[in-house]
Amino acid sequence: MLPFASSGSKVTPRHHVSGYSNGYPRGNTFELSPHRFQPRLNSTPAGRRRRRFYLRLGALIALGLFGLYYFFSNGAVLPLFSLGLLSGGEDFELETVRYYDLSNVQGTARGWEREERILMCVPLRDAEPHLPMFFSHLRNFTYPHHLIDLAFLVSDSKDRTLEVLVENLEAIQASEDDAAHYGEISIIEKDFGQKVNQDVESRHGFAAQASRRKLMAQARNWLLSAALRPYHSWVYWRDVDVETAPFSILEDLMRHNKDVIVPNVWRPLPDWLGGEQPYDLNSWQESETALALADTLDEDAVIVEGYAEYATWRPHLAYLRDPYGDPDMEMEIDGVGGVSILAKAKVFRSGVHFPAFSFEKHAETEGFGKMSRRMGYSVVGLPHYTIWHLYEPSVDDIKHMEEMEQERLAREEEEKEKAEKAQKIKEQFSDPNSQWEKDKTEMQNIAIKDKAEKASKEKVKDTTGSSPKQAGAAAEKPAEKPAEKKPAAKKERIGGGAAKVEET
Amino acid sequence: MARPLGPVRLKKTNPITLLIGAVLCIFIIYFLAAPASSDFSKARKSTAASHPLSPPTSPFRKSTSKKGKVSPPPVARYNLNNVTITSDPIAARENVLILTPMARFYQEYWDNLMQLNYPHELITLGFILPKNKEGNAATTALQQQIAKTQKSGPERDRFKSIIILRQDFDPPLQSQDESERHKMQNQRERRAAMSKARNSLLFTTLGPATSWVLWLDADIIETPPTLIQDLAAHDKPIVAPNCFQRYYNAEKKKMDERPYDFNNWQDSPKAQEIAAQMGPDEILLEGYAEMATYRALMAYMTTDGGDLHQEVPLDGVGGTALLVKADVHRDGAMFPAFPFYHLIETEGFAKMAKRLGWHPTGLPNYKVYHYNE
Repeated sequence: MLPFASSGSKVTPRHHVSGYSNGYPRGNTFELSPHRFQPRLNSTPAGRRRRRFYLRLGALIALGLFGLYYFFSNGAVLPLFSLGLLSGGEDFELETVRYYDLSNVQGTARGWEREERILMCVPLRDAEPHLPMFFSHLRNFTYPHHLIDLAFLVSDSKDRTLEVLVENLEAIQASEDDAAHYGEISIIEKDFGQKVNQDVESRHGFAAQASRRKLMAQARNWLLSAALRPYHSWVYWRDVDVETAPFSILEDLMRHNKDVIVPNVWRPLPDWLGGEQPYDLNSWQESETALALADTLDEDAVIVEGYAEYATWRPHLAYLRDPYGDPDMEMEIDGVGGVSILAKAKVFRSGVHFPAFSFEKHAETEGFGKMSRRMGYSVVGLPHYTIWHLYEPSVDDIKHMEEMEQERLAREEEEKEKAEKAQKIKEQFSDPNSQWEKDKTEMQNIAIKDKAEKASKEKVKDTTGSSPKQAGAAAEKPAEKPAEKKPAAKKERIGGGAAKVEET
Repeated sequence: MARPLGPVRLKKTNPITLLIGAVLCIFIIYFLAAPASSDFSKARKSTAASHPLSPPTSPFRKSTSKKGKVSPPPVARYNLNNVTITSDPIAARENVLILTPMARFYQEYWDNLMQLNYPHELITLGFILPKNKEGNAATTALQQQIAKTQKSGPERDRFKSIIILRQDFDPPLQSQDESERHKMQNQRERRAAMSKARNSLLFTTLGPATSWVLWLDADIIETPPTLIQDLAAHDKPIVAPNCFQRYYNAEKKKMDERPYDFNNWQDSPKAQEIAAQMGPDEILLEGYAEMATYRALMAYMTTDGGDLHQEVPLDGVGGTALLVKADVHRDGAMFPAFPFYHLIETEGFAKMAKRLGWHPTGLPNYKVYHYNE
């Protein structure tokens, strides 16, 4: 009903009696907004009350619903009003399902082109002194860094290995250069309670080898099982104490497209030991002798290479090196050394690991090589592609070096002495006339004295003749310069020495 | 009656209409704003990995913001000295990894998995499926169930993380039929492939946080809901329950059960004698008349009404259901795909674990049930 209907007219006019013919009431023409909505005036007070009641009820329900929502969503009101556009710090969802097709991560010869991921495993123990050298290698790898995942196992370390490691890695990940960043970095801490010392002597002593190798194997397995992911195509094992290696070693080894591949490992030596030496003797080909030897040993025995106790006559990768040989030459091997192993991840996925028990009489990396062969994988060494292990002198070497040092010192001392003597001789004989003069004058003096004594003797009677002579000699001695006296005293010895030299 | 002429739309609004409108508005706003509310609670979010390159046993944060470049992965430290393995895994909040090599998907398997009452937020599931027609069908079915649980199910039912792997080698047999599968000459090849599948699954999913690994075959359709807690309570490195199968006994005219898994055994002198005469590449198999080993089989050690927690030492184990301390696998115990002491797969695993100093235990009266084809 129209407002003006209430003015009493019974007939609805076809056109508005007054105002604009637009259906709006005339009202006050001079109002600012004449077309403003006007509430209907015909509502009864009861209707109005009812409407107010509904309004309040509606508001109450809305408030209640909002309160419920607030209560159940733990106070996350913001997204409600921002319509999800203004969400705060938590702009992520949880992804709980991962799907991987393992046939995509087989590993190929040119992995860097197919973006194949490498897991690099580094076992560490009290390795703080070697870390700077290791990181200098790490920064320089030519394989795309974002495709390399790093995994470290820090076990039973008493020095600051862990702290230094974390500092260096965080510095790499925080670097400005995107190409420097690595992929996933995991640091695994696990103490095995190893009682075997890590110093060179106890590390390489024959008796400790079997149990030491088994513990090392255990550590390697823990590291691998914690770090291997379904998206890895390759696994690269690297020791921290490699001193020199090509920066392109990953590509160089990968190019061969073998299941397991190792380079030759040598170490530089001081000159007195020959300049260089094969280091890793765990890469070898199996021999009849060794197989026969293995049959005689009991179940838990471990054959370790490089010790006189087990003469295996195996061809070692290390001894076959020719510095001018073709670096791409391959050699089939059965045992592998752990300094630097590149293996396809599928080898580890299929269950091959580092036996921490005696597997075909071998443990750790040698057992790994054996097991890989058992599973039908190709295991290859490169005899002429060499990396260099750090030279750490053994206790014998240190003893030897100490002896050499003492010898050297003794020699130096002798030389110094000789030089001194020569100097002195030179000093002594540089102006021999003066001495002769002196001696001459002395002799003359004596002769004069003798004459004087004789004269006095003749004058005085001989009973007290000796005492003036002594007094005269005593008076004469202080007159000699001490500096002159000493060389004179030495002169005899030198003279003796010189005489000997002359004799010879 | 004719409506009085005048401006249209001046009918009195029904307050109920208003109310419905308001409620509708609230709903619309709610659904506009709340797609994220199907996500996880704060507690779960806080334990998630911050980068997709992370151990698969934990969920990761999938950034929903488009802006900004991806930051490099953080330096993650895992202290394995703090990963406990206790006989009360719920109290210690220990992570369990359930691993299943799957060739066929059985709905009963999934239902049984769902009814395990170990806290699901501590359970990670790992599956490996072959890449053939059967495998594809199983993957599809599995993914449907996973989506149902992880996306729209109640949070209590959702698992911590789920990993699906597809095998990188072909299964040696085209058919997984019972009769074909158990032919003796096919066994070695089949079990070698099975070993590789198990190892691939195990070593890519174990990660640094797992305390227990539960091997559960895809055709295990009935277990007690407290399976994990019950087996862990024994605090043994390797615990195998007894695997049975329900079937319709035509003689007794009622449902009955019979032993199924014969790979849980104690060694016998006879078996060792046979093994000693074998070539290095031959394997000993259990449950075949051609090769009588006289081993003591756990399948026959069960006694009616016997103690559920009775333990027997074992020398060989089957993989149908097996709870293993993660340390056993970390030490390197795996499923040999080659004859290891003339044993292969799960039996070889038991042998290898023993070589590493971990001894398997069997529970003859604690039963799980295998699907009946």
